[in-house]
Amino acid sequence: MGSSEGSRHGRRRRRFLPFVAVAVVLAATPLLLAYHWARLGWRDWHYNYPATPTGYTQIVNRFGQPCNADAYAISMSWVAADNGVTYTPRFHRKLGGYPTEMVSNKGGRSTNLDNDVYGHIQNDHLSAYTKSGIWGYLCRTISGSSSWSTHAWGIAIDISASYEPMGRCYSTVNKNFAYVFKNHGWRWGLDFCDPMHFQYAFGY
Amino acid sequence: MKRTIIATVISAIGVVGAVGALALVGSAAPAPKPPPVGPVVPADTGAGEMLLVVLGGVFPSRAEAEAASAAASFGDLQGYYVVPVAQFQGFQEQVGAPGDFALVSVFRTDAGAQEFAAFARSLGYQATVLPNRVRSLGGVYAGLGQEAAPDGSGPLVGPVPASLP
Repeated sequence: MGSSEGSRHGRRRRRFLPFVAVAVVLAATPLLLAYHWARLGWRDWHYNYPATPTGYTQIVNRFGQPCNADAYAISMSWVAADNGVTYTPRFHRKLGGYPTEMVSNKGGRSTNLDNDVYGHIQNDHLSAYTKSGIWGYLCRTISGSSSWSTHAWGIAIDISASYEPMGRCYSTVNKNFAYVFKNHGWRWGLDFCDPMHFQYAFGY
Repeated sequence: MKRTIIATVISAIGVVGAVGALALVGSAAPAPKPPPVGPVVPADTGAGEMLLVVLGGVFPSRAEAEAASAAASFGDLQGYYVVPVAQFQGFQEQVGAPGDFALVSVFRTDAGAQEFAAFARSLGYQATVLPNRVRSLGGVYAGLGQEAAPDGSGPLVGPVPASLP
């Protein structure tokens, strides 16, 4: 009698165990995330991203002429993990510079690059893979061409250029954090054998 | 014999018909799409203007200059251009000899020249902004127009007061 009641209790306990586990996970996840964010004072805002343009016309409609003042309005500091050099890539006003816990007010319109992408890379402990050769805006054409590079709009950034040469169709370093860029509307240049390059545009 | 003639005529009609059908399909097919790139940067030489030169090196022959240019990688961005030293008046007085070739990129504004020089140096390449402006005599394209206009409207596509002789 006593043993059958004990086993019934045990069955009931076992039946509730998955619900308890789910409840614990549900309660703990936001707490863990909050702790993780609070540790660096960062959270992923996803505030006011422009739609990623496709093709030259949409790029100009959304970001203006190449080399215009907005294209180099915002800058950020990015320390290369391998040589400790602090690079200062500049980029378009619509891709960052909005005030957050991590970024001071730079007159920018969104939280895309300097808060969300950069913060994600830091928070996911991937900064060890961002190595020397980090550039953003430059009023130049594409190598060997007379067409404007996406860098001329401040909508492209090269990372780990010393390790990811143009023309190589595989990645050794940037593959570790490329998903962060992709998740925030960017295209990775590996698609066209330029693994150092990330651009906020398609079809160009 | 009669059968051979009929077969030949049918074959000829078949060939002509096939060619006609191919031509019809070809003309109806949409024209191939051009690559999705925008207007190109005009090959502005700034003839007659006084320009700033960022110098990447001087070489005794075009072949050596081309080889040095090919070896210098600026990633996906255009780096230096190979030009004869004689292309700019006042260039030879500052560097090289008349028969030499140089790696350069030229600019109308100091800001543009300094920006490119800093970029080239950060890649480990020689980049000297020549102290005196040189007069462009035309010739081959050397990168002019790849700098921001001082009013922030876009690329600088015309002379500025400092570049006028």
